[in-house]
Amino acid sequence: MSSPSDAEVIGRSLGDPEAFGLIYDRHAAALLRFLGRRAGAKIAEGLVGELFRIAFERRKTFDASRASALPWLYGIGSNLLLKHRRGEARRLRASARMAADGERADRRAGAAALDARLLFPRVANAIEALPDDEREALLLFAWEELPYQSVAEALDLPIGTVRSRLNRARARLRELLEPKGKGRVRSQ
Amino acid sequence: MKPVDLARKLRREAAFKPAALDRGKETLMAVIQQEVEPRRRPTVIPQLPYADIRAALSFLERAFGFREIPATRLEGADGVVHHALIEFGDSVIGIGTQGAHGAVSPQRGGIESQFLSVAVADVAAHYQRARAAGARIAREPRGRGAEAHAYEAFDPEGHRWRFVHQRLREVPRP
Repeated sequence: MSSPSDAEVIGRSLGDPEAFGLIYDRHAAALLRFLGRRAGAKIAEGLVGELFRIAFERRKTFDASRASALPWLYGIGSNLLLKHRRGEARRLRASARMAADGERADRRAGAAALDARLLFPRVANAIEALPDDEREALLLFAWEELPYQSVAEALDLPIGTVRSRLNRARARLRELLEPKGKGRVRSQ
Repeated sequence: MKPVDLARKLRREAAFKPAALDRGKETLMAVIQQEVEPRRRPTVIPQLPYADIRAALSFLERAFGFREIPATRLEGADGVVHHALIEFGDSVIGIGTQGAHGAVSPQRGGIESQFLSVAVADVAAHYQRARAAGARIAREPRGRGAEAHAYEAFDPEGHRWRFVHQRLREVPRP
């Protein structure tokens, strides 16, 4: 017998609340990693229980036509992270320094390594400066590797809106890569 | 390099404590348990006075995780809420009108004459939730031993609440 879908489990949990524990067992590890990538281990460890508490309390509103609860859970997580923007920004800057150091350590990279030292902090700033909705779409797509449809479900948006947000976010990052953008990086 | 790959270069995994997932599960199961357990009939019900009961009910739910017990709300014809019961775990608290029964909200009285001590499964998560909801913290969950697993916060009218890890709570059994 195949195991029940998330939608079936959540449906069952309306009458039998303890069944919802299975949703935690299935997805908590993925959501903890997601929260950790964004806000660091400490905040993530405090938030993962909170995320599932909210999901449990809102389980009546889960769209039963979606087999997997994962995008819905990502969406709740994204909302929780809005309250931890400062922690996120700090982590992003630290990641940028590490990425730059990593490139510098690679001697073959030569001149490109010099750029990396300037480039990655700019990337971090650019991601940080995106409007909340564009940043969220970009990071769910790029870091969590969710397909467009899942990003749309997570953010509760039409898929076309997700595409246009991602395109705007891409355009802002592309500016940093193009020769003109590079020149700006050097001159600043 | 594509723009998305550039963003991907900044993705970094966090290093978690081995028990990170267990604590979250505890938090969830404690909330689920609240819904599963048959409602108690408590012998003692503390009554807290508030000038704005609606605001208090909303805050106590958002910040501290209390739930209003359905159908217990007493509302006047003018839509003003005079009293309601809220629950947390196996306990019930009455939320009443400032001034009624001689009870004064700290907001009016300028002092707190008592505080409430509440046992929770996950103090750190509870603390984060309270802070996110705008609770003013009176005592951080820091210090030696047991005090690292407890914190205190004010609600909007200045009642002081203490939240302690449930393992620290020792109530003598009759």
